[in-house]
Amino acid sequence: MFAYSIRRILTTIPLLLVALYLVYIGVSVTTDPLAEFRLCLPRCQEGYDRIVELYNLDQSVFVRPFGWAADAITGDFGTSNVAGQPVSTVLWERGINSAMIAIPAFLLAAVLALLLSVYSARRQYSAGDYVLTGLSFFGIAFPAFVLGLVLQVIFAIKLPEWTGWKLFYTGGKRTDNIGEIIGTVTLPVVTLATLFVAADSRFGRAAMLEVINSDFIRTARAKGLSERRVIWRHALRNALIPLVTLWALNFSALLGGSVITESVFSWPGLGQILIPALQRPDLDMVMGIVIFTAIITVVFNLLADLLYGVLDPRIRYD
Amino acid sequence: MTDSSTTKLEVDIAIATEGLTAEPKSFGKLARERFFKHKLAIAGFIGLVLIASIFVLGPWLSPWAFDEPNVLNRRAGPSRDHPFGTDTIGRDLFVRTTMGGRYSLTIGALVAVLATLIGTLLGSAAGFFGKWIDTVVSQLVNLVLVVPAIIVLSVVALRFGAQPVGIAVVLALLLWTRIARVVRGVVMQFREQEFVMAARAAGAGSGRILFRHILPNVFGAVIVEITLLIGLAIVLESTLSFLGVGVKPPTPTLGNLVFQAKGDINSDPIRVLLPGMFIVAIVLCVNFLGDGLRDAIDPRSRADEKE
Repeated sequence: MFAYSIRRILTTIPLLLVALYLVYIGVSVTTDPLAEFRLCLPRCQEGYDRIVELYNLDQSVFVRPFGWAADAITGDFGTSNVAGQPVSTVLWERGINSAMIAIPAFLLAAVLALLLSVYSARRQYSAGDYVLTGLSFFGIAFPAFVLGLVLQVIFAIKLPEWTGWKLFYTGGKRTDNIGEIIGTVTLPVVTLATLFVAADSRFGRAAMLEVINSDFIRTARAKGLSERRVIWRHALRNALIPLVTLWALNFSALLGGSVITESVFSWPGLGQILIPALQRPDLDMVMGIVIFTAIITVVFNLLADLLYGVLDPRIRYD
Repeated sequence: MTDSSTTKLEVDIAIATEGLTAEPKSFGKLARERFFKHKLAIAGFIGLVLIASIFVLGPWLSPWAFDEPNVLNRRAGPSRDHPFGTDTIGRDLFVRTTMGGRYSLTIGALVAVLATLIGTLLGSAAGFFGKWIDTVVSQLVNLVLVVPAIIVLSVVALRFGAQPVGIAVVLALLLWTRIARVVRGVVMQFREQEFVMAARAAGAGSGRILFRHILPNVFGAVIVEITLLIGLAIVLESTLSFLGVGVKPPTPTLGNLVFQAKGDINSDPIRVLLPGMFIVAIVLCVNFLGDGLRDAIDPRSRADEKE
């Protein structure tokens, strides 16, 4: 299993390098870091030269990524000009902020999706099942920003107007007061969780139904196991395998910062800085975020694969 | 799919002798029956037609132009003259929303067509020829999946994407991967079947086998993906516009209408919610339609109807 993990990681590296190379060139070709300086040229020659040197603009576009890579290998990811801090610091601080909404959202979504799919599968075609399926269709149809804005209007704006209770905030991280942070984080967490629950529970329902109707479940019932044991030990364990794949994808997408939800709620996470960094362009920051999200994606996909082996011992890697 | 050598008479005899009561049905007929039994799919189809006709007729019926400001009547609420109200510089929002809907639907359709073309071509080449072509296409798919879509989209959109067509092309270049994977799978499955071998034995070339014998079988799987793709493209386009890197104003799309209105969300939430709800409605209808088509074409995919 260890050898398998190493092999998996090694085979992803070339792909990752190509991706990083292309992103660097793509951002360099489509944006101009000197745009502001060109307008004032004779006067601000100094700043112009500094930018040229910073991004090696005197070299060919195709060579420049290697300069960045040479620094990155030594652990120097450069300085973000949008945030005015070293990229590693920004990644760390904003990464924690992203995690503050990512981890609760993920846990909430995973638990809810699991419970709802078990419920729907066991009571197939009941009124509850129909309501849940309808709701999940509805949830899938919501783009993240529409859902975020709707929740904002209802809970952060209209609710205080109607009731006078200021429980939730429209966003921004103002203080370190824990109560206020919870009030701020709740709405983005609910937004993200809703989107994932909607997608996952339909998937989970189908997986669970397939398992519930299979022969070994009938055998388990026939030999007199309690219904609880049949469902939670025998059926769920098998239905979990497709869900684990989805969860790995969800969690890595969340940790890398959800661009849309974070910008709707002005939450200072990784996603929120990505668009300004691309527009500026803040190449070091963009590359930092890409490499960060790519590593997370690779790691969690690998973890998911290893987890299959735990859930179903017949799956082996060697 | 009755064998061509079986005549009507033989079928009748078979029915009589076997004691069967129903006539055999063709695949298309069965698929149509399953589709029409799927009430949600019908609802989705009708909903889509309705929304599309509002978008097509709206700008026609309204006396206002979508880019004509009226500073005397800014931020007006819904009224008889302006059913959806007016925006920050007094443009009629009903016309802007329906025009925006036109653009959004057009982008969605264009993306679906382009992505299907790219995906089908690359996917079938990979599945049919295998070897190095398969390796190249598979790695290309992986590459598109590794690079965060939002980065590619905004980089290219910042440079080329101010126009609806530019955005559509970029979206298609990102969204072909799913179709390519589906097509590759189906082609690989059919490549090994007897009718392909028979065609080859009869002297058909690779091109003929691929286009005449194999690709028609891909149609079912692809049509489902296309409907879902339209929904996805509309959502992605509106997301880009919402982030401010999509289609540039004054050209309206449903996404940039939300983007322009979100500053006033505290005082005037209706301007955000109306275009937002149109996006939700379109995606909802498209998903219902896709679900119905999937059941119609591939009944096995409905695990819940097994018993």
